[in-house]
Order: sequence, then structure tokens, then C-alpha cells
Amino acid sequence: MNGLFGTEPADGVATWVAAIATLVVLGALIGERRVFGWSQHLLAGLATGFLALLAITEVIVPRLLAPLAADPAGRADLWLGVALVGVTAAAPWVPRVVAAVPLSIAIGALAAFALGGAVVGTLLPQLAASVARPEPTPLATLAGAGAAAISGLVLVGFVHGAPRGRVMATAAGTGRWLMLAGLGGWLGYLIFSRLVLLIDRLAFLIGDWLGLMS
Amino acid sequence: MSDRRAILGRMAAPALLLVLAGAVLLPANIGLRLDRADSSASRGMNAALDRLPVDPMVLVGFDADLGTYAEVRPTVRALLADLLARGANLAFISLTPEGRALAIAELNRLDRLEANPRQIMDLGFLPGAEAALVALARGLGPNAADGTISALLGTTELPDPGMALVIGGNDLGPRSWVEQVAPRRESLEIVAVAPTVLLPELQPYLASGQLAALLATPRDGAAYRASVELGPLERLAEPVEPSSLAILLGVLAAVMVLGHSLGGGLASALRAVRSRETS
Repeated sequence: MNGLFGTEPADGVATWVAAIATLVVLGALIGERRVFGWSQHLLAGLATGFLALLAITEVIVPRLLAPLAADPAGRADLWLGVALVGVTAAAPWVPRVVAAVPLSIAIGALAAFALGGAVVGTLLPQLAASVARPEPTPLATLAGAGAAAISGLVLVGFVHGAPRGRVMATAAGTGRWLMLAGLGGWLGYLIFSRLVLLIDRLAFLIGDWLGLMS
Repeated sequence: MSDRRAILGRMAAPALLLVLAGAVLLPANIGLRLDRADSSASRGMNAALDRLPVDPMVLVGFDADLGTYAEVRPTVRALLADLLARGANLAFISLTPEGRALAIAELNRLDRLEANPRQIMDLGFLPGAEAALVALARGLGPNAADGTISALLGTTELPDPGMALVIGGNDLGPRSWVEQVAPRRESLEIVAVAPTVLLPELQPYLASGQLAALLATPRDGAAYRASVELGPLERLAEPVEPSSLAILLGVLAAVMVLGHSLGGGLASALRAVRSRETS
């Protein structure tokens, strides 16, 4: 029962559309791939349309065009934004050097913030947390030591090109296997999340659409 | 592969769907009580909520993912209802288009179910990914760097939140908030609701204290939902609990498929060894 639809006639239509789309997707399990393919195109189209709508109604008009219209002379920063948007839209027709400017700014800013945040927010605090230290219980101390050992082995597994002895090679191999085990565990979590989604879709069909659940 | 095995293979998926549908139709608590399992995550969340001041402002970073939202949806709704019942004012903001779509749907639902509109503020969609989070962190609170973020969000005054509740699942989830917002706003407690698939990524942040509380599995969510008293706001929570029996059967089916695959691989390896020995 997702509760996203109300009791108006339009909500009833939405429930029917959602139910039919769900059946089409589930139909791929019994080999009906053609209609399933159409549903994928529909999803891609809807997502693109929503993205365009969001960009226009919540970003470009209220945060770029409206402030510019209200005070064209006082917002030089927004004119710069308009220029960058214009260059991005005209990328196929302007020289490559010019077209690269907005893209470079976007990628550079993204990399800078993401990398800086990863170092300050994740790497340093997690390195500090992974150092084995005495904990309130022996089991917790053992778990901390195990986590530190696994972290070290996996890091060694990423060492490439350096001269290695037998011990280092064994440690690196162990680290790679531990990493694979971690990836396997993560895949298990992923399957679990998808399984809950499948059950929710079935509950939607049975409850919201067919009305068989109170 | 024989015809019989081929037919059985084609029938397996529809049969699983039928079994799961049958389990969904049964009462939710037959077979497995998720809420009676380990409730430490639920206690952590309740403790974090209890630390909130009177009538607090809570910033809700709503960036769930369509592929996993079904898993966290009952917990998210119970948590929002719990916060409203505690008198909190909720300011919703999304940094991903998908999260914004789901936030709009949930805000419409809250409006339809007559949640107090004075407790809910929609700050909309903030583009810019990590850079937007940095701007958001700098623009929060009484010592905000400048009015940029308020201007971006179209509000004259941005609230000073005592807590950020991050609904995860998308690219800009709890990890991004910990990396970008927490170092710039150390007084801000970050709590999160996320799907199971993000648990390995987020567990270390909980252990190191960078996340004040985390609900990241159906078990944790069920334990939390069982622990809250919503009173008249019970209508904001989901009326039907997810079927724990269907989840159990689905997990068993997944384990059987995995076991079958592993067994098949082992059997073929053994056959190869034997054939080498005999030749």
C-alpha cells in the first residue's frame, strides 16, 4: 500500500496506469520482452521530461531569469551564468576551446568538493576509527583489531608495481580475496533491497489495485 | 538441457511471484516478527530524537531512490510523523531530481492527510551536487556566511536546524552529508534512513559517531515503527506493515538459487578432476 494516490478519479487513473506498467515489467519474467522494452523507453522519456521540467520550473526561471528580470544591472554573476548556459547549449557549434570552459568548471568543482569531502569527512575519520584500540569488551577489541587487519590487507592488495617478497604477495592476495568477499556481501544486500521492492510491487497490485488487502 | 528442465526453468519466476503474492495476502506478522529482533538502531534513533530541543527545526534531505524507496518508505513516514508529533518543523530539500520527485509525492501525501502545514516547509530542489551541499552548510544558522543560499532557495530566512534527517538511496545521501556538511557544521546532528544496500557504506559512519543514528534495514525500521507512539498522527504512518513472511520466503529463494549455482559449479569442478584422474 504505497499511499501515494488519493481517492479522486485522477488518482484512480494513476493507480491503473501504475498497475499496468507493473504488470508489463513483471511480464518480462515470462518472456514478454517487446512491451517491456517499450516500458523502458517510456521510463527514459518520462525521466528526461521530468528533469527538463525541474530545471525550468525550479532552477532556470526562479533562480536565473526572474532575478535578472528584476534587476538586470545588479546581478553580474547571473549574466555569467547565462553565458555559461548559452555556451553549453551551443557546444556543437562553438570552438572546442570555448565549449570546454563550462564543462571544465563543472568537472573541476565536482572533483574538488568530492575529493576534499572524501578526505576530510571519510578518509581521516575512518582511518582514526580503524586503528585498533582497547574497547569496553574483549569481543569489541577483537573486532576492532580484525577491522584494522582487514583494512591493512585490502590496502596492500592495491599496491601495484612495487617490489614484493613472498609475505607481501600473500598479504596482497589475501587482501584481494577479502575485498571480493566484501563485494559479495554487498551484492547480497543489493538483492535484499530489490526483493523488498518486488514484494512492495506485489502488495501494490494486490492492495491498491485489486483492493484485496484492508 | 531437457525439455522438462527448460519448462521448469521458465516456470520458476512466475511460481516465485505467486508464492510471494500468497504470502503478501496473509497477515503481516505470520512467520517472522521483525520488530522483535535487535532494536539497538531503533533505540539510537529515539535517543537522537529525544535530544532535540522543544519545537525544533529539522532539515530533511530527501534524496531517496526510486529503486529502493519502497524499502524505507514505511520507516520514513513513521519518522516524519514522529517528528511532527514531537512538534518539530520540517524543512524539505532535495539535491537530486529523483529525490525531488519522491519528496513532492510525500509532501502531497502529507497535505492530503492534513498534516499541520505550519510545521512543513518545502525548500525545493537545490542543484549543484556536492557544491550545493557546501553552500547549504555555509548558509545555515545564525552565523551564515552570506545570503547566497537563501537567495538560491527563494526564502528570506533560512531556518537554523538542530538536526538533519537524510533520506538516502541516491548519489547524494548520508555519506555526502557527512563529508560536506558535517565538517562545516559540527553542531548539526545527522541522522539517516537508508536502504539495506547502503548499510556497508554507512555502518562505519555510525560506528565513528559521524552519524548520530541510522535505520538501514527492514528489521531496524520495523523495530523503530513498533517503538513510536504517534497518537492522532497515526494516520500519517503506513496502515499496513510489509509482509515479513514474503521477505523470508524471498530470501530463502535467493539462497536456494545461490546454493544451486554454487553446487553446480562445485559438481562440474569435481567432474573435471575425476575425468583428469581417470584419463
